[in-house]
Amino acid sequence: MSSLSPKERLLRVLDNKAVDRPPVICTGGMMNAAIVQVMNLTGNTLPAAHHQGELMAALAGDIHDHTGFENIGIPFCMTVEAEVLGSDINYGTLACEPKIERERFPSSAQVEFRDITTMLGSGRIAEVVQAGHHIARKNPDQPVIGNLTGPISTAASIIDPVTFLKELRKDAANSHRVLEYVSDLLIAFACEMVENGVTMVSIGDPTATGEILGPRMFEEYAVRYLNKVIDGIHGFGAPVIVHICGRLQSVKQFLPRLRCDAVSTDALVNLKLLKEEFPGLKVMGNVSTFMLELGDSDKVARHTETLIRDGIDIIAPACGLSTATSLEVIRAMTDTVKEG
Amino acid sequence: MARKTKQEHLQELSDAVLDMDEERTVKAAHEALVEHVDPYDAIQGGLSDGMARAGQLFEDEEYFIPELLMCSDAMYAGLDVLKPHLKQVGESRGTVVIGVIEGDTHDIGKNMVRIMFETGGFKVIDLGRDVPPQRFVDTAREEQADIIALSTLMTTTMDGMGTVVRLLDEADIRDGIKVMVGGGPISPGFAKRIGADGYAVNAAEAVKVARELVA
Repeated sequence: MSSLSPKERLLRVLDNKAVDRPPVICTGGMMNAAIVQVMNLTGNTLPAAHHQGELMAALAGDIHDHTGFENIGIPFCMTVEAEVLGSDINYGTLACEPKIERERFPSSAQVEFRDITTMLGSGRIAEVVQAGHHIARKNPDQPVIGNLTGPISTAASIIDPVTFLKELRKDAANSHRVLEYVSDLLIAFACEMVENGVTMVSIGDPTATGEILGPRMFEEYAVRYLNKVIDGIHGFGAPVIVHICGRLQSVKQFLPRLRCDAVSTDALVNLKLLKEEFPGLKVMGNVSTFMLELGDSDKVARHTETLIRDGIDIIAPACGLSTATSLEVIRAMTDTVKEG
Repeated sequence: MARKTKQEHLQELSDAVLDMDEERTVKAAHEALVEHVDPYDAIQGGLSDGMARAGQLFEDEEYFIPELLMCSDAMYAGLDVLKPHLKQVGESRGTVVIGVIEGDTHDIGKNMVRIMFETGGFKVIDLGRDVPPQRFVDTAREEQADIIALSTLMTTTMDGMGTVVRLLDEADIRDGIKVMVGGGPISPGFAKRIGADGYAVNAAEAVKVARELVA
């Protein structure tokens, strides 16, 4: 079984099949590893790589080569979807990720519904899809992960987020309409990526946490629309990982109802206990990104060993990596998993 | 209809805020004014009390951010009615410069803390979200602030909090200004490590900590 390629290993884990050891990955998107050190080594840099498919593919390849993560992930931000839905984006700098400059709509009721196919041809979607295509063709043995910003976070990136959150309670009808629309775009975007060679999809939805929404809103909106997007992606045959931010405590009971193939969590969550509580759940995580940034390689290696011993299905950073994280400490993490 | 006692007016204001009912809060505020309840008491004993109870429910994980935001809308609607009738604003407990550190565009938590500070009697200067560390320091100096309150939801921006403390040191104004930090990824240990004076786990707690810091 040691002849498993990284792609086979990850797909087998997600398909409940036996593997020699857990894969160690960093999905991209919200949890990307485009650190300053890698970009300075190769000269393929952000923010330019947010815009050009070939450069995006090159940077994603650089990250894979230097960090030892067993996947290649694109894009490197959470603003691709909000941009085509009309929000203003600040593309950031080499060291600082893009962000929403201004949400397009003041409230859910004012969201204009545009044609999904037209939107797929706008913004940076074509470049991300193109990047996925390049990477997949050049790296048949690596899992290529296409990343989506989850439906709740995308909606909160096109509507003023404070208003959006209030309207989840005050204006459920329009909130549902917007989330249906956003989910349809996400599915169509994912479909483009998968049809052009991406192996699987990872969804990060940082606004959809128990701390922000509470259990009632999490069930009514997050579970429902995450599942809609997951089902859509499963419909064209690709596995899905979902990352849930925060402590999980108040929404833990909904995890088995998410129809994704693995759940990734923050560093605050004890994955061993989570697995004991939900034996059917496949879990990914959760090497503290704070620990990674502090730069003590031995400590990171020991922490990684514990996760392996605890039977965590996929080893990964717990959150978005700081762009100041060093390669040395990331390699301490990836080498520990590979050397078993 | 029998007149309400003062206590009944305050209770109705508090309940209306807690029930997230903007219209009812406005109505209760008008009624309180008509029946000569001191607007200052109506704010403190009514609106603020409702907000404090909402904060407690948030701590108990019965209310979450959407509920708290709606309570604060109700509170502000009531405040708009009562404020013009205040004889004089009560003495300020101090000035707070608040904002979300650069690199983070989440400001829901910060907005809650601001509201709790305002209802708790502090003058608040809100720098918004995605604020460079230097701006906190400059503003605190210009406004002679007592407290800088920093919030973040993202681990990747925690660095900036330490930078603020360091810049205060460098500007030699660290002694006069207390720094407090909070937000999802922040722990008391982290606060101590970067040299912050206070840590709060949530908005309600933040006001208690601030009061102790300026006491």
